Amino acid sequence: MNIARHPELLDRLAAAWAVGTLHGGARRRFEQQAREHATVRTAALLWQERMSSLTELQPGVQPPPRVWTRIHQQVQAERVLVQGRAPVPRETAAPWWQRLGLWQGMGLTGAFATVAALGVALNLNSQLGQTRTELTAQLQAVQAELAAMPRADYVAVLNDNQASAAVLVTFDPVRRQLHLQRVGSFQEAEDRSLQLWALPPGSGPRSLGVLTRERLLQLATDPAVVNGVPTLAISLEPRGGVPEAGGPTGPVLFKGALIQRQI
Amino acid sequence: MKGPIGGLHAPGTENQGMNADPDLHLLSLLDRVAARDEAALRQLYDATAAKLYGLALRVVGKPEWAEDCLQETFLQVWRSAADYRASLSPPMAWLGMLVRSRSLDLLRRGQAQRQAQTDDLDDHLAETLAGDAPDPVDTTLASQQAWALHQCLGRLDHRQREVISLAYLRDLSHTELATRLSLPLGTVKTWIRRGLDQLRQCMANWH
Repeated sequence: MNIARHPELLDRLAAAWAVGTLHGGARRRFEQQAREHATVRTAALLWQERMSSLTELQPGVQPPPRVWTRIHQQVQAERVLVQGRAPVPRETAAPWWQRLGLWQGMGLTGAFATVAALGVALNLNSQLGQTRTELTAQLQAVQAELAAMPRADYVAVLNDNQASAAVLVTFDPVRRQLHLQRVGSFQEAEDRSLQLWALPPGSGPRSLGVLTRERLLQLATDPAVVNGVPTLAISLEPRGGVPEAGGPTGPVLFKGALIQRQI
Repeated sequence: MKGPIGGLHAPGTENQGMNADPDLHLLSLLDRVAARDEAALRQLYDATAAKLYGLALRVVGKPEWAEDCLQETFLQVWRSAADYRASLSPPMAWLGMLVRSRSLDLLRRGQAQRQAQTDDLDDHLAETLAGDAPDPVDTTLASQQAWALHQCLGRLDHRQREVISLAYLRDLSHTELATRLSLPLGTVKTWIRRGLDQLRQCMANWH
């Protein structure tokens, strides 16, 4: 049956559809007809509009003031982030693994040279009767020593809004750690925490962790989170920090460009 | 029955305290918000937050969740007020729609938790339904469309009005409503059918 020809029925179905009480086969048939006939579609949309006014007719209740405070803080934080993002020059558009590869390559070249030199010495030593097992052990020791050297492939100095340095950040991709050093005099209140954020271009802030109160600290970090990120920022949050999904809720106190070290 | 068209265009008579055209006022605020004017966002919040918070509370039932809905909605407005112009809806209806869909999302996401809270919600529902007086709705900001619906809903039996509102606002089926309200399915169906029939006749007079 073409309900477009039965105005009374059409009106009844459209109202039930809009309020959401038309179910199952009846709903599917109605929607099918709405797709096919403009008259049916018009009736459906008219009732959808009318019913949406129900949202305007609920008794008002004053929300607690903290709701606006949270909205305001988040808007402020977004503004800072948007402003902070624009002027930061990207070092290069190459993917991070290529840039990382270059740096690591240089490092590895050095390592191979060391190992090679050692190898020559060991070759000489072998004439003195050292066994292959001992050679291997020494090689492993050298490799372990190399691996144990802290690395700082990425560096950032986070400034406050007076351009004074507040926090020095370096990233060690081998140990997958961010190293933080507080260099300013700022100390958060007892009920607050500082939270470190990566601000990747084109997506929301990613939390890198909450700072403890020590002057020096480390945060375990996946290199994928740091790669290609032009800016880091620290926001003031309720003690213990906030979930990443909602982004920073407090003011951004410190921020700075994250630079890949090539010297 | 002749439609009260006069009431529609001369709201001052029944709808006291209403601006000359609240839609225009909110529209200009939304335009300013779209231009990143935070003071306008604050004004919009002051003008609409109570209304929208009340709506969120009605849908999700829990104050903490309603606060989250309100916060998320205003951040969404801040980020996408520019999209509003394309919607063609009255501003309060657009804002209400944002709040309702956020609220329903939250209810669905918390489906598991909701199970535990269903009792509270249902008590709250039953209470609303037991009441007899019409809701003390402030229509100061209501669009003309909402004003018409308000008038027509006002003519329904209180219980019919409530089940229709709940079915829409909470996106509940006949069966879900019957369960939540501890009413026979047939009763819920009858209330909704009769209520909608009356509503249709009344709304037809507004056009």
